[in-house]
Amino acid sequence: MKLKESLANFFAVICLTVVAAMAHASEAVFEPELPTVASSYFNKHNFSNYRPYLLAQNEVPTAKSQDEISVTSFEKFNPPLFTGSNAHKFLGVGTLALVIATAVAPKPPEVEDRAPTQAELDAQKSSSHAKLGRAAATLAVATVATGLLYHWDDFHLEDGLFDPDNQHALLGAAGALAMLYAISKAPDEGHAGMGIAGGAAMAVAIKLTW
Amino acid sequence: MKNNSIVLVSLTAALLVNSTHAGAEESFIGWLLDFSRTKEVKPVTDKHYQEECGECHFAYQPGLLPARSWDRLLKAEAMRDHFGDNAEMDIDTLKEIHDYAVENAADKSYYKRSRKIAAATADGPTPLRITELHYIQRKHHELPEKMIKGNRSVKSLSYCDKCHTQADDGVYDNDTVSIPNYPDWDD
Repeated sequence: MKLKESLANFFAVICLTVVAAMAHASEAVFEPELPTVASSYFNKHNFSNYRPYLLAQNEVPTAKSQDEISVTSFEKFNPPLFTGSNAHKFLGVGTLALVIATAVAPKPPEVEDRAPTQAELDAQKSSSHAKLGRAAATLAVATVATGLLYHWDDFHLEDGLFDPDNQHALLGAAGALAMLYAISKAPDEGHAGMGIAGGAAMAVAIKLTW
Repeated sequence: MKNNSIVLVSLTAALLVNSTHAGAEESFIGWLLDFSRTKEVKPVTDKHYQEECGECHFAYQPGLLPARSWDRLLKAEAMRDHFGDNAEMDIDTLKEIHDYAVENAADKSYYKRSRKIAAATADGPTPLRITELHYIQRKHHELPEKMIKGNRSVKSLSYCDKCHTQADDGVYDNDTVSIPNYPDWDD
């Protein structure tokens, strides 16, 4: 049973790594001349000295040497279906669905008046409730990971705690941690509250930036 | 149990704090139960605004600037010199456009991108150009010059709809960007 569980976890990690790597591979090439710290782009720094930034000054006339630029014909642009942002969105919604499924899934009877037998412990671990809970926590972690990868430039502490993206990131991360804590404590008493709190934090995080 | 209560109160507070802007458009419950997406900018819904502004340039959504900016931009005297052009129109039409823009400005919208713009422009001088907004500049900082000013199909950041293929719908996310002449660009 333990080996099977470990294999399942290992397989899940491999899948998530592959998904993350696939999406990461399509990211733009790193621009070495640009600062990578978000705060470098704030008003207090003279970041307008960076040449690429100057393009924002739209009053400057159009560059003259355009002859070498080939103009391609416009075609109807269809946004790609498989993107990091979409993966993040669907993972988040999937997490919520699994949290709800976990809450309503049948749970094995609790043993209160004596220590549970090994068979009862195994039944608890292999119940639908337990499996769905673990799946929800796994998806929550994947959601946070994809959020960090694809929306890292939306998160700026300098924007303050009332910034919806900052709140989204913090609540989402807190929700995932709460779910992980819940499954680590299961099937002990008290894990349900933390699991529900984690799901609620995720739900609020999604709503704030939906 | 006590911890759970704290968590519950914190989450409710987070929702309430964020619902203050929603109050301008709908009730808190209405906002809470509304599943339509509001992560971008509210599309233009006023026919006159769309027609009058769109006649000369992309009809920028009011949610891209705070109300005080629209108030200054859409005054009769200001329209005589609208970024170098005379954009005068009859007083009734201008009033309708002005009122629509002010009522749907960034600081009165619940749409996420508008809220970020509102927060970024809460202090300091009244911005008159969308391209001058710190938030917009930060979002475009990594684009090399050749893709905008050196790109004869774009020319300026002002032409949002040249690259943001769903700008008409108020959608400005990365997934819908397609820079003319640079089809392989990916953020």
